[in-house]
Amino acid sequence: MRLKSIAQSLRPQRAGVVYALVILVMALVVATSVRHQPGYLSVVNISNILGQAAPDAILAVFMTVVLISGNFDLSVASVAALSGALALKTIDAIGTAPAVGIALGVGIAVGLANAVLVQKVGINAFIVTLGSMTAIRGLVLIALNGESVTAQSQSLTTLDNTILKVPVAVALVIGLGLAAAAVVRFRKASSSESPPLDGYFVALVAGALICLIVPIAVPAMLRQSLPVWLMIWIGVAVSVGLRFLVVGRNLYAVGSNAEAARLSGISVSWYKMAPFVMSAVAAAGVGLVYAGRFNSLDPNALTGEELTVIAAAILGGTSLFGGSGFVGKSVLGTVILFTLSNGFNVLNLGSNYQYVVQGAVLIAASAVYMVAAKSPSRKGAAPSPSSTVAVDQAVEQRESVDVHG
Amino acid sequence: MNTGSLALPALEVRNVTKTYPGGTQALRGVSMRVEPGVVHGLVGANGAGKSTLIKIIAGAERPTDGSLLWRGSPVDWKRPADAGAAGVAVVHQQSPVAPGLNVLENVYLGQGSPIVWRPRDRSREFADLCGRIGFSIDPYASVAGLSIGDRQMVSVLRALARGASLILLDEPTASISPAERTGVLGAAQRLAGSGDVAVLFVSHFLDEVMQICTTVSVLRDGTLVDELTEDSMSVERMVAGIVGRRLQAVEESTASRAVGAPVLQVRELATAAMAAPVSLEVRRGEIVGIAGLLGSGRTTLLKAIFGAERRVRGSVLVDDKSIAASPGAAVKGGVAFVPEDRMSQGLIGSWEIWRNIAMADLEHLSRRFGVLDVREQRARAQRACDELGIVAPSIDTAVRDLSGGNAQKVVFAKWIYKTHHVLLLDEPTAGVDVGGKADLLELIRGLAARGTGVVVVLSEFEELLSVADRVLVLRHGRLTGEFRPAEVTVGQLTAAVGGLA
Repeated sequence: MRLKSIAQSLRPQRAGVVYALVILVMALVVATSVRHQPGYLSVVNISNILGQAAPDAILAVFMTVVLISGNFDLSVASVAALSGALALKTIDAIGTAPAVGIALGVGIAVGLANAVLVQKVGINAFIVTLGSMTAIRGLVLIALNGESVTAQSQSLTTLDNTILKVPVAVALVIGLGLAAAAVVRFRKASSSESPPLDGYFVALVAGALICLIVPIAVPAMLRQSLPVWLMIWIGVAVSVGLRFLVVGRNLYAVGSNAEAARLSGISVSWYKMAPFVMSAVAAAGVGLVYAGRFNSLDPNALTGEELTVIAAAILGGTSLFGGSGFVGKSVLGTVILFTLSNGFNVLNLGSNYQYVVQGAVLIAASAVYMVAAKSPSRKGAAPSPSSTVAVDQAVEQRESVDVHG
Repeated sequence: MNTGSLALPALEVRNVTKTYPGGTQALRGVSMRVEPGVVHGLVGANGAGKSTLIKIIAGAERPTDGSLLWRGSPVDWKRPADAGAAGVAVVHQQSPVAPGLNVLENVYLGQGSPIVWRPRDRSREFADLCGRIGFSIDPYASVAGLSIGDRQMVSVLRALARGASLILLDEPTASISPAERTGVLGAAQRLAGSGDVAVLFVSHFLDEVMQICTTVSVLRDGTLVDELTEDSMSVERMVAGIVGRRLQAVEESTASRAVGAPVLQVRELATAAMAAPVSLEVRRGEIVGIAGLLGSGRTTLLKAIFGAERRVRGSVLVDDKSIAASPGAAVKGGVAFVPEDRMSQGLIGSWEIWRNIAMADLEHLSRRFGVLDVREQRARAQRACDELGIVAPSIDTAVRDLSGGNAQKVVFAKWIYKTHHVLLLDEPTAGVDVGGKADLLELIRGLAARGTGVVVVLSEFEELLSVADRVLVLRHGRLTGEFRPAEVTVGQLTAAVGGLA
């Protein structure tokens, strides 16, 4: 019983993103060793990939929250650019804290505007955030007058440059704690008082193994830049919140069936609006990290990054229709996309092909989720008769059109 | 048409078994013959296997064992398109039609020359088709503006235009007006009357089945338990077949309950859609029934009390405390609402039983700092399954896999294990089989006996009169009368609701 439910959560439609990452890394390891290139899995290279992925991964975490609530946010990259640009532009004149305040204020303002337009005025989220994405990019161009901006003050660079090392002992203690939690959970799972073991149990075991093995085998991996740690902390915190808190449960409820949630007394507007604000504030924070990377920002910086972030969430199996998604998987999805581009660089394949492959991977991933979800072995494969017949008739209709047309 | 069609049945189902991967046996050896020129009824409680049988006939699912014979020869339909090509058409309640196109274009969608569209020839053919089923509609009307009943007729016409010789009508009259109902029933009869089309009519409405079917197959628990022909047709036999040895739904309310202080007071409540402000009072332990036709404002009234519909004026008091106009405030104040459409308004289909039951009361099913208390939630769900008799493999079953009656019990469980003073029920027994109905009505009586004030909307007046202490008549958004169940018959109530009294 317990093993069966674990096996359920290891199937491709649930854990596909993990397999994809493993396969991708193995392929790159083989490819680099065939070419006699230096070890792909070096600490430097892995830290490099994680460092590059971290800002987008943080955005993907909150994008996932927005997607779970049943909405969509295209404006994140523009918000990040505007926040970064304004911070760099003002920091020398008004100091670090006020500049950071302005940047985060931009996030709050845009998030609220998006939220109100979508939830209170009732405009489709895609349209609202497409509009705010475009308009805010325009504000970046106006603010920077079309030229890149550089700050004298170095305080923002500490965001990206700071290296934190978690002590080996701390990592081991966390690992032991996770392992203990996993054992307790496993033993409880046989009674009906606890829900069946699922992906969180697998994640718990994986987390325990990582925290126990990495400090001993490659202690150098515990030295990472601040954005990487932020990615991990935020990812873990939001996952835990979504899983174990009332607000998390309600968010999934609102995204799955807003009317049922409303008639259960849940404040739907709140749960639809808060994710926009969170997403925009996170974007403002990421904008600061990004501005600190070179202490300078181009007006077209981060253009198109929102699509990478959404792609990462989709790679992680998040539904575009709301009600399902896991932030941890979206983080892994981001890591996959950056591993891909890193692989292209390492193998010197030319970045021209990179987008083709990224796009293909995205579609292939969605195909795997679709096909796996339709497979007849799905437990309780008895969707409501109405929906099946309707779908079947739609299919039939389409096929008959194909035959005649 | 096939010359041998008079001798051979259109469709023969032989010993069909269907076992789902989860182990559920939906059909256990069903055999049935559907003859052309006959309206063949298929009745059974929810979960009896009707839907599975329809899906197998429509090619949407394949039998685990047994076979289908189409005009005498065995067939193995792998996809709905295969069945469609052979001449089987399914007309479902929410039949998919392309709303952007007009009636004519919908009827001939995907047929004939792909390049040239000849509306004049088509409209001539269309007139013939309409004549065959005795239905008339403007061929150039946009489908988007049609009622559900008319859309179904468009689907029927579409099936005929494609030469279908077996038409499955799946619950065609469940949500349409009486006038349309007559049209659909008449069309079914005319279709079969023309001799070469067989009609399989699936319905919960036994009076309709009686009216138009010449043969009726009764399913129960995946087995064909009875087959009625013209000579043996009777409602009693049908009900006996459907219900088996289970109790009948409608029992007279026997014990009268002690009625206490007013628990719900609705004062001059009005919404934009309601004609006049409504005032009513419900006491503890009292069941107030609302009788009204579709469109009388019965759902709006319940939703307005619950705060889910915008109030123009008026107030709602529970235990003498005013309740703000939002579902959140109502839930906090101890008001519970079981909505009409449980799957789209009451439940989250992909969620398990336990998470659905916990949904409305997470405030109490959590520990400090808003941490979910899963153990408590699951214990409540287990208790609900045991006490309410929710039939499911476990509390981890997704509610979309439950039958109507069991799903409705889950909606009830959401509310009744939470502190509640007032229960608003909108058609609690719709789409629930006879046995399930009896359980639910008994449950409502039991809840009232424990001191809950209940307002219930029921369009089955027998049920309404059997459960309510008082019945209010709602017409065009106005309360127009009040009855004691003991002093009124179903006929009188029907007349009052229809404006005849």
